[in-house]
Amino acid sequence: MSYIVPVGPYHPALEEPIHARLYTEGEVIKDAEVFVGYNHRGIEKLATERNAIQTLVLVERVCGICSHSHAFTYAMAVEAINGVEVPKRGEYIRVITAELERLHSHFLWLGIACHIIGHDSMFMHIWDERELVMDLLEKMTGNRVNYAMVTIGGARRDISDELRRELLAACDKLKAPMDRIVEIALTDRTIALRTKGVGVLKREDALRMGAVGPHARASGVKIDVRKDAPYSSYGDFDFDVPVVDSGDVFARVVVRALECYESIKIIRQALENLPEGPINLGSKLIKIKEGQSVARHEAPRGQLSHMVVGDGGFHNHRVSIHVPSYKNTPTVPFMLRGNTVADGGLIIASIDPCFSCLDR
Amino acid sequence: MQEYRKIIIQKEQIVPIAEKMRREGRYLVMIHAFIDKDGQMDVSWDYAVDPAVESYHVLGETELPSIGGIYDTAATWPERELNELFGINFEGLDTSKRLFLPEDMLETQGRGQIMVTPLSELVEKNRKEEA
Repeated sequence: MSYIVPVGPYHPALEEPIHARLYTEGEVIKDAEVFVGYNHRGIEKLATERNAIQTLVLVERVCGICSHSHAFTYAMAVEAINGVEVPKRGEYIRVITAELERLHSHFLWLGIACHIIGHDSMFMHIWDERELVMDLLEKMTGNRVNYAMVTIGGARRDISDELRRELLAACDKLKAPMDRIVEIALTDRTIALRTKGVGVLKREDALRMGAVGPHARASGVKIDVRKDAPYSSYGDFDFDVPVVDSGDVFARVVVRALECYESIKIIRQALENLPEGPINLGSKLIKIKEGQSVARHEAPRGQLSHMVVGDGGFHNHRVSIHVPSYKNTPTVPFMLRGNTVADGGLIIASIDPCFSCLDR
Repeated sequence: MQEYRKIIIQKEQIVPIAEKMRREGRYLVMIHAFIDKDGQMDVSWDYAVDPAVESYHVLGETELPSIGGIYDTAATWPERELNELFGINFEGLDTSKRLFLPEDMLETQGRGQIMVTPLSELVEKNRKEEA
C-alpha cells in the first residue's frame, strides 16, 4: 500500500520547522521531498540598512546555536574589504569561542540523536556534560546563546589569567566524560542497531551535492575550511580532521564525537599560547570601504560563508549569508530513500540541521 | 589568509567554467547576486580554489544558464533563491515550488521584489495590503 506521510513543519523530534513529504510503500520510503522557508526573516534585507556594528548584532541572531560563527564570519568579510589586521590575542579569543561553540553544538546534537532513538539516559548524560561548556561560555562572554564576543577588528572581551586557568582546568575535566561518551557511542548495541547502515550518503553523492562539514566528513570527504583555507589563527594550531567512510548515521555520530577532542586540543593550545597585547582596534564605528569579499568559516555544521559588499558608507550594500544546512538539507531525500518511516526523523536530524540558519 | 579573486566574465562562460571546476573537484561555495550602485545586476559564482575563493561575475544579465546539471542541488538551490529574491531566470531551472518565500508573498510582493525594492517601500506596501 502506498502512502504519503507528512513530517513537520512541527514535529516532536525536530525542534525547528521543516516539512518532509515521504512517499512510502508499506514501511519503506521510496522517495521524499523537503520544504524549507518557514523561518525566513529577511535578515539579508535588514542588513542593508544597518552599519557594521549593528550587523554584528543582527547576524548573531541568524542562529541560536552557531551565533558566534555568524559574527566571526561577517567580521572577517568586512575586515578583508577594509584591509584590517586583527590583533593576535583577539584572533585567539575568537577561535576559543568558536571551538567552545562547536563543543556545545556537537554535544547538543549527540544528545538529541540519542533522544530520537530512545536512549534517554545517554541523552541526559551528554547534555549534563554540555552544561559545563555552556557555563564556560557564560563565564567568558556573559551570555549562554548570543555571545557578542566579536567586534570589527577583534574581540570584545578579554580572558583574564584566572579565567584562562579555569578554562584549562575545564579541558582536563571534560576528558573523562568525553571518553565515556565516545566509548558508549562506539560500543552500545542500541546505538549501533539504530544508526549503522541507516541513512547512507555515498561519497560521490556528497561531493556532487556539495555536502559540507561533519556530514560530508562522515561520507569520506575530507573537507574543513580550517585546514583547506586557514583563517584567523587556525594556522597556529595542531589538530586533525576526523573522516569516516561509511556515510551512515553512525558515521555522523563518530565524526562529531571525535571532533570534540580536536576542539579541546585547539582550545588548550590557544589558551597555553595566548599572546599578550590588545584584543581589538578600538570601538570606533567604521565605514565599509567600496569593495566585495567572501569570508568562510568552519561552523559546527560545516562551511559558513558571508559575502559582503560595501559602498564606502557606514551601511552594508549587500550581505549574503549561506550556511552549512543550505548544502546539507538537499541531501536528505537521497538518504531517506530505501529506509523505513521509523528512521525518517533520525535521518533528517542526522545532518544536524539548522533551519533558522538556512532560512535567515 | 583567505583570498578573494574577482573575475568578470560573459554569460557564455558560466557553464564551461562550472564544468572545469567540477572536473577539478572544486566546491561551489555559493551563487550570489546584488544590484550594484549603477543599478545593474551583479551575479557571481564563487568556487573554492583553496585557500582562495574565485568569484566569477556576470554583470547586467537576468537571463542566465543553469549549472544544476553540473553541481546538482549545490547550484539549483541558490538559483531558486535568486529567482525568488531577485527575479533572475535560470534557463531550465524548475521554479514550480517555493523555496524561501511563502506562496502568497510570491503572488503579492512578488518574485524578484524583495531584494530589489527598498525596505521602506516594502514596509509601506505591506501596510497597504494589511489595511
